[in-house]
Amino acid sequence: MAKKKFLLGFSPDIVNEAIVYRLVKDYDLKINILRAEVREMGGRLIMEVEGKAADIKEAARYLTDSRVEVQELVTYVEKNEERCTNCGMCLSICPVEAFTMERPSWKVRFDAERCIACGMCIDACPPGAMKFHL
Amino acid sequence: MKRTVAEINQRIKDGDVVVMTAEEVIPFVESEGVERATKEVDVVTTGTFGAMCSSGAFLNFGHAEPPIRMQRVTLNDVPAYTGIAAVDAYLGATELRQDDHGGYGGAHVIEDLVSGRSVRLRAQSNGSDCYPRKDIDTWVSLNSLNQAYLYNPRNAYQNYAAGTNSSERTLFTYMGKLLPRYSNITYSNAGQLSPLLNDPTLRTIGIGTRIFLGGGTGYVAWEGTQFRTNVETRGGVPMGSARNLATIGDMRCMGPEFLRALYLPGYGVSLALGIGVPIPILDEGMMKATAVSDEQLFAPIIDYSVQSRNRRPIKHVSYAELRSGKVELFGKDVRTSSLSSYLKARQIAEVLAQRIERGEFLLTEPVAPLPQDRGMGTLEVRSKEEAV
Repeated sequence: MAKKKFLLGFSPDIVNEAIVYRLVKDYDLKINILRAEVREMGGRLIMEVEGKAADIKEAARYLTDSRVEVQELVTYVEKNEERCTNCGMCLSICPVEAFTMERPSWKVRFDAERCIACGMCIDACPPGAMKFHL
Repeated sequence: MKRTVAEINQRIKDGDVVVMTAEEVIPFVESEGVERATKEVDVVTTGTFGAMCSSGAFLNFGHAEPPIRMQRVTLNDVPAYTGIAAVDAYLGATELRQDDHGGYGGAHVIEDLVSGRSVRLRAQSNGSDCYPRKDIDTWVSLNSLNQAYLYNPRNAYQNYAAGTNSSERTLFTYMGKLLPRYSNITYSNAGQLSPLLNDPTLRTIGIGTRIFLGGGTGYVAWEGTQFRTNVETRGGVPMGSARNLATIGDMRCMGPEFLRALYLPGYGVSLALGIGVPIPILDEGMMKATAVSDEQLFAPIIDYSVQSRNRRPIKHVSYAELRSGKVELFGKDVRTSSLSSYLKARQIAEVLAQRIERGEFLLTEPVAPLPQDRGMGTLEVRSKEEAV
């Protein structure tokens, strides 16, 4: 089983397409929607998909064919190490505990793999070290 | 065993001084005992790096041709106070940029300056016979200013309440983002490394004490505003905000490593500043005081959803508990976050220790002590007669 995160972009003419349903039904993928925004200009969806590597690949092709913009996300929230003061404000804010305070160094470590792009840390970081990377 | 500051300074000059950080000294005193440790250690260095809102900079721009008596001044569009002499201004750290949603303020200008960046200065005046010019629009940097020094009315709080939130909505405070229904706790103190927790009655710290400030050298100028001594203590150490310092120091020797602008959405701008104070080990009492550990230091937890100055603490917890990452509150583990950087606090104590060992930083005796008995008043709405 493979796990990947995607950023999908929709233009207004395709927002009525039942994309998530097709991904589940036709490609047997387990979908976790991390972020969804739909506006008059279209929409944006960040999702984590889990399934067979071949199915994920096929699903990505289906999406592209359906004129959905598909971008695989490796990192979507970035920590600027120089800006970070290692205070740890982010620690109790992050819902998935993507930040840890390393001992005995007292450095804040950010695990991008755990991050679900909720954005909670971005305005919680006083020196402004956390930014969206999209 | 007793020693004087003069004796310590002689040992610094001779290259014989023994310096430890307030963190290193804890296991040392535990293993050696107070008596032996006192004989060994001359100085204990402390450090803190946290949001210090009550900070700001005095700047002198030099005279323009023809000269102007500045009456309205902005630096990168952040207003500075200029009701002083012609080309002097005071820029407060929390002042916000005009016509902005926030995110940039006085602290950012100060960080820009100490980082060597130029800053746009605009000033207006009504003009006078001696100062005919009515406006100026130019750029300044730390190199072009005649004087640029921080004068901070309230820094290095001895201790400070931790914050939490019982309400149904997220609160945006100077203690950071407080999640609803007691979902997190934030605190802001270096605990066992914190300067004023290592000399709880300020025996060795007073007016004129030389300190580490923002990467450079500064001095204790005065008692900090809202300085108070009448607070509850445990083991002789205050359990809430008590003493603090007004500090002063040349911005030219500071840098962004230990001076950083902060933005707390919903609250505003603040300045994270690094402060370190060397504590001379004059006797066993000072040795014992500096060996205090996070397990012995306590902070109150305050519910910030209570919008009153009379908030009662929910409970007191040790810095060891706060720093562990979670604190038990109403039978539930609540995650904690620190607003001040323990790593930077440690680095400050280490850098200060090195400066002393290398003979670059001599200790000082206070020129005058800070108040030994001071309360803190409140502000009431009252009549002119009642106010007298």
